[in-house]
Amino acid sequence: MIRFENVSFGYSEKRPILNDLSFHIEKGDFVALIGANGAGKSTISRLVNGLLHPTKGHVYLNGKDTLKTPSSTLARDCGFLFQNPDRQICENTVKDEIAFSMKAQGWPSDLIADRTRAVLETFDLDPEWFPFSRSRGERQRIALASVLACEPGLLILDEPTTGLDYLECIRIMDHVTGLNQEKGVTVLMVSHDMELVQSYAKNVLVLNHGQILGQGPTNEMMKNVEVLKKARVLPAQIPELALRFGDEFKDVFTVEDMLAALRGRAGKGGAL
Amino acid sequence: MISVKNLGFVYQGGKSAALDGINIEIADGDFVGITGTSGAGKTTFTFALSGIIPQKIKGDFYGAVTVDGVDTAVHPAEEFARKVGQVFQDIDSQMVASVVEDEILFGLENFGVPYEEIAKRVDRVLKDLGIEDLRDREIEGLSGGQKQKVAIASILALEPEVIVLDEPTGELDPESSREIFKILTDLNREKGITVIIVEQKIMLLCEYVKHMMVLDKGKIAFYGTPGDMASSIDTFKDLGINVPRVTELSASLISEKIYDGEVTLTVDEAEKMVRRILK
Amino acid sequence: MNLLNYVPGDSFLHKLNPVTKLLAAFLYGIAAIICGNVFAEVGLIILMILISATCGIAKRAILLTRNLFFLGLIMFVIQLFFVRDGEPLAVIGGFVLFTTGGLKSALLLSLRVIAAMLPLMLLFAITQMNDLCNALVKRLHLPYRYAFIVTTAFRFVPIFATEFHDIQDAQKARGVDFDTKNIFRKIGLVAPLCVPLLVSSLKKVDVSAMSAEMRGFELRGYKSGYKEYPFGVRDLVTVAVLVALIAITALWGA
Repeated sequence: MIRFENVSFGYSEKRPILNDLSFHIEKGDFVALIGANGAGKSTISRLVNGLLHPTKGHVYLNGKDTLKTPSSTLARDCGFLFQNPDRQICENTVKDEIAFSMKAQGWPSDLIADRTRAVLETFDLDPEWFPFSRSRGERQRIALASVLACEPGLLILDEPTTGLDYLECIRIMDHVTGLNQEKGVTVLMVSHDMELVQSYAKNVLVLNHGQILGQGPTNEMMKNVEVLKKARVLPAQIPELALRFGDEFKDVFTVEDMLAALRGRAGKGGAL
Repeated sequence: MISVKNLGFVYQGGKSAALDGINIEIADGDFVGITGTSGAGKTTFTFALSGIIPQKIKGDFYGAVTVDGVDTAVHPAEEFARKVGQVFQDIDSQMVASVVEDEILFGLENFGVPYEEIAKRVDRVLKDLGIEDLRDREIEGLSGGQKQKVAIASILALEPEVIVLDEPTGELDPESSREIFKILTDLNREKGITVIIVEQKIMLLCEYVKHMMVLDKGKIAFYGTPGDMASSIDTFKDLGINVPRVTELSASLISEKIYDGEVTLTVDEAEKMVRRILK
Repeated sequence: MNLLNYVPGDSFLHKLNPVTKLLAAFLYGIAAIICGNVFAEVGLIILMILISATCGIAKRAILLTRNLFFLGLIMFVIQLFFVRDGEPLAVIGGFVLFTTGGLKSALLLSLRVIAAMLPLMLLFAITQMNDLCNALVKRLHLPYRYAFIVTTAFRFVPIFATEFHDIQDAQKARGVDFDTKNIFRKIGLVAPLCVPLLVSSLKKVDVSAMSAEMRGFELRGYKSGYKEYPFGVRDLVTVAVLVALIAITALWGA
């Protein structure tokens, strides 16, 4: 799906943002890019859909070299949800806003109408709303609906839950997970929120100063203290708690895991 | 002391009340975290505390907000800034200058603070926020965390009794977010400044604030210490408020009678809890 | 590289009072306007670049000259065909295309535009916008409100530039093709770029005004400024030199 081959990127020679990066992401995966600010997470997400081009090496999206394919063509394979929905909302009604992306990509008008109706329903949006006066969460949902109406095979989320409350956050993430599991849509998510990453991502790619420190299943990486420390990332709470007890809770990743483990222990020791 | 009595507000042209029958008293030196879903009235509430509502933003205003007995609806909002300082949500647009020092000078100059005093205050707030090295820098080139510190410094220079912040960490990474909370805690503890902060990052609230307020549809749905959350975890879930995982864990352990202590708010506290259970 | 950004430094010109800098830029412009000699105009441009070198901004001065050259070129072409005095210089089939007088005045005008604009644009490289406005308020008692509007407008330029870039990225990511050669499509691209920019600017300006008001903007008078902007010997010298320059160019040009 996505392949980076010896990719370097930087605005100046002296300060490269990415340095000789190679990795690939399989179709159907749900990968979270994590790392401190300036590690190169957003840069990677923008290299995938051709908003940025590598200064060295190649990026392939579905086998297409991003250097040779215009970003408007790559957009058909790759939906992108930005942190701030206000940068894309430009139509007077929600239904026009949703149709906008499909129109830009040259969809036939009968299909546009069908798809618009479908996503309006899925995302519980009123077609006649004036998008600019809706809440931040609703605007983010409108933006996502517009992106997903085009049925991209890959969805990139750049800090998708910034400024959203927990309910909106769950709503958006659950929908994305559904697409990933049922339709095999590949998801690449950039996030600072480790609880979010732990709850939703299958695999994690840890970045530091434009280099990959580690790549692997989320639970495994959550307990890789060495790598996380080097990347200046705090693990999610329960894995961190479990880690403080060494091997004792090595299979504990969630609240439920911890509860189950402690139920047994308290029973034996008779803690109370 | 801040006293809010029967506060209600409907924005001009708004269909429903943004705030509805709010009653609360906030003591001097308190550190209050406000959370709630979007549209719950958090920003409107902060505006009511600083007098922006009803003085700068029009609408139907009910009830009364007083700070040390001074009515925010009547006292000129400009003057009021010296009592209640407001840090807005959008970091970039609240700046008025292009250089850090000028940004901090702005309010001091306007309020006619004496010349010698200005120099002292600028030095002091730069030091308090640990940004002495940014003094001559262009704001445009600063990181989000640095900009937020400059914004707080420029309000702090006016020596307000209360500082109100609206999602100051919204666009910051975890490290800088924590730093902002640490700074606010120091200001609260050492200078006795009352801090009122709107925040979505519940883990930070649990760790740093003294009182927590949850707003829902313009009403107060919860008010208490973070420790009081234990008995209301289900309420929180219904309101769409996330609680920290360790808090959820401790609440479950307490309800299953595996643990008989207090609810835990941080990983450190949870570690102690688990050690006690294992003993 | 932004050609209007401030470049820190501590040269003779950097240290001048901002009001003097503005006055000096104007006086230099006047010298260029009253000058009637092509060689003297070229001299003024070269002199300006040399002066810039003393503040460490020679590179910018050259870049600006190059950019202004295009503006000058337009003036040149217009002037060339509209001024008809002097001897015919180019004749096609009995029709006089342009004359010696046209060529001379076109050359002079285009150089004059460059020579007069250059100092004004270089002013921003050695003057903080804030300082300029504060000094104008403090020394010339310009109403603060206007000074504030000007500084804010300048401050928002880079913010809006970033915003514009991000909006363009967001629309590209949705499949909008900005490289299209079709003119009708190009016109259709205006809305997806301008609507979000307009919405965000209105929001930003609103917050900015509120933030300023809440910090006592209304209470401010010309005495409020903390920084003093005294005039010194160097300011006097600068003005004297520029007055002399005007005299010389006026004599030479005559």
